[in-house]
Amino acid sequence: MTGSQNSKIDAIVRACRLIMRMNRTRPDARPSEAMYYQMLTNYFTRLLNARENGDFVAAHTVFFPAELIYAMDMVPMHTETTTWMTALFTGGCSDILEAGAQLGLALEICTPHRGLAGAFALGSLPRPDVMLWSNMVCDNTAKSGELIMELCHCPGFFIDRPFKDSEYEIQYLVGELEDMVRFLEEKSGRKMNWDKLAEIVARMDRQIELIRNINELRKTVPTPFHSQGFLELLTIDYLFPGQPESIEYLETLYQELTAMVQEGKGAVPHERFRLMSLFIPPMYLIGFLERISQEYGAVSVIEPFFTYWGEGRLDRARPLESVARKSYMLPEARMYGPMDERALNSIVDCAQQYKVDGAIYYADVGCRHTCATIKLFKDALNDIDVPVLTLDCDVVDQSATSEEEVREKLERFFELLDDR
Amino acid sequence: MMVGTTQKSNSKLHILERFREVNSTFPKTSHLLDYKRSGNKVFGWLCTYSPEEIMHAAGILPIRIIGYSQEAELDDGNAYLYVNSCSFSRSCLQLGLGGGYDFLDGVVGGSTCDGARRLFDLWRNYIGTPFYHVLTVPRKYTEKAHALYYHEVAQFKQHLEEFLGSKITDEALYDSIKLYNESRKLLRQLYDLRKLDAPPITGAETMEVSNASFRMPKEIFNQWLKDLLEEISASGNTHTGRARIMLIGSVLTNPEFIKSIESQGGLMVADELCTGTRYWGDPVVLDEAKSPLEAISRRYLNNFPCARMFPSDERFNRIIDSIRDFKVEGVISQIIRYCVPYCHDLPLLTKRLKALGIPILALDVEYGTSGSGQIQTRVQAFLEMLEAKRK
Repeated sequence: MTGSQNSKIDAIVRACRLIMRMNRTRPDARPSEAMYYQMLTNYFTRLLNARENGDFVAAHTVFFPAELIYAMDMVPMHTETTTWMTALFTGGCSDILEAGAQLGLALEICTPHRGLAGAFALGSLPRPDVMLWSNMVCDNTAKSGELIMELCHCPGFFIDRPFKDSEYEIQYLVGELEDMVRFLEEKSGRKMNWDKLAEIVARMDRQIELIRNINELRKTVPTPFHSQGFLELLTIDYLFPGQPESIEYLETLYQELTAMVQEGKGAVPHERFRLMSLFIPPMYLIGFLERISQEYGAVSVIEPFFTYWGEGRLDRARPLESVARKSYMLPEARMYGPMDERALNSIVDCAQQYKVDGAIYYADVGCRHTCATIKLFKDALNDIDVPVLTLDCDVVDQSATSEEEVREKLERFFELLDDR
Repeated sequence: MMVGTTQKSNSKLHILERFREVNSTFPKTSHLLDYKRSGNKVFGWLCTYSPEEIMHAAGILPIRIIGYSQEAELDDGNAYLYVNSCSFSRSCLQLGLGGGYDFLDGVVGGSTCDGARRLFDLWRNYIGTPFYHVLTVPRKYTEKAHALYYHEVAQFKQHLEEFLGSKITDEALYDSIKLYNESRKLLRQLYDLRKLDAPPITGAETMEVSNASFRMPKEIFNQWLKDLLEEISASGNTHTGRARIMLIGSVLTNPEFIKSIESQGGLMVADELCTGTRYWGDPVVLDEAKSPLEAISRRYLNNFPCARMFPSDERFNRIIDSIRDFKVEGVISQIIRYCVPYCHDLPLLTKRLKALGIPILALDVEYGTSGSGQIQTRVQAFLEMLEAKRK
């Protein structure tokens, strides 16, 4: 297998820069949008230059507490997001998916993980100094680390995050984080900067508060934030937890949306359908989904498992415990833990609070633990008269579905909503 | 060309018919229905990380929830769990939704894999059972992980006591441990017979026994297995084949699958299945310093690991030990589609086995498959390769 070193990261950086240049010519471009792409550019540029700069690169899976990586002044590399960004910005993932299959990874392994292993095998991503992973959120994340350790010849640490959120389990997770800090100190020769971690935790608390405030604005009719905008919020959480630039971005976005609400301006010219998004849309269709949103006046106003944070605050005086507790406050945590009344009621609450007309479930064929909830969510939403459209897709693999197919299904769904 | 294992005695193992009867009538076996009629409770458990001894000590009969043992239409299972859940989960749910387990008084699950935990979620929401409990099952073996799992097991015991309105005593736990350890010891004796150059029992026959072991009261099972061991001893049966095979991978309960390999000459001598060795593998080790509950908790977390556990080398090393103990010449991995933990382990395990010169055949299957069609062709080629290697 061959591949040019770091080629995928390089392609992401070039794509982000191109988007920034294009946005400068757009009169309606949001300042927060420019900040967002600048943040992405910086994130991947730092990764691209890490080796040259003598930085310590820590690869980590989704929902991993990257606050600790930042506090130790390491360069994080969010593995799943790197695959998603490859699909989003480079237009295809077939080479890395094929390389993953050649490693012996079955097609049932979700594409972000299969593609990631393939990208490492091809040498298209920088080799991390450590691999960090956890069982948040599914078997794929729990099982992905060891192969990457072998492929990259690097040591690794697995965080065993308990399933439920009892106090005992939260303290167990704190113990896991303590062990990981010791591991990182030993492997990197760097010390944890506890003061810096406390600052990051304080900012993360503010970050959550800002997202909650932004969501409050999204309740307005017409809603001010564009349909796929939640992916920006999600990416900020994934890549920049508790970072100063996140606060700056979110505060700017909040101000922009507040102004829109005050002016009575919506994200689309004529808001007709307020939608709930369940799970992640295919990355390669994001542009198309934005266009169809404008065309039909259909906007995602809430995403219960991505932007709808649970209750609770983070305490800078207890930074490690706060990081552990955050793991159970995450919107996604409702989906990871037992699917009981608490989880199901939160979807119903969301639908009612955000005046949702319909929900779209992006049924990623590689994501078993989410797709197995479709029936549960559909029934819960149908009970309050909210119809649900299930769109079969894959988050990065373009061969799973086409723009035409999605358009046809969405148009039929919008017709159904119109008839009501 | 020789096809099929060669059997040197035609003695039929009559006692096996008892086990076959249990398996063919499960879930509604006469034992279970009698047990219910006499006013006792029956609980279903979803994964081998559910501590059976605690349920047994509470006077409950624990049985494993299993799907249809053959490939079946899974319309409801697909509709409720979606097609990308493993066919084992879908098959279990289909059977449950159809009333196959309507006699159950409780269901116990664990956070073991995506398939098992979602099966638990769906079961709780759509199938009425008076008692539910899900345990957090750590993925590590550290002392902290053991303390967490002990805490979970103790919570489970307490929940059960509240449900039943009675205490589960240490004496009852000791009795249950003794009974379950007796089962494990007898199953080990049965399996050890397969270490012989010409084992007296086939892999498919062994699976009939192991399947019954989690489908019926252990008190009766143990007696039947003792009877079977005596019968085997007197039978003079011996089986030889083209190559000694170990079967690994996802959950499997259809003996026809093993029979299809044995009919082509593969001598199935060992397994790493959660319905086989991984179910009965290790005993509960009693120790004066530990309470019976702690001994139970330690056994379940330390048992022959599922692919869900970390580090994977614990599982790989156990497989490699079995390969040596049972003089295995080739490994057949059967992984149910969407059984992701095993899918992830496969490239790593293949690399380790290759380094030892042990060939592996990787089969993608659906739960309940009888191993026909393309599987047979691939097994045939694999056996030919092993045979050539032997020469």
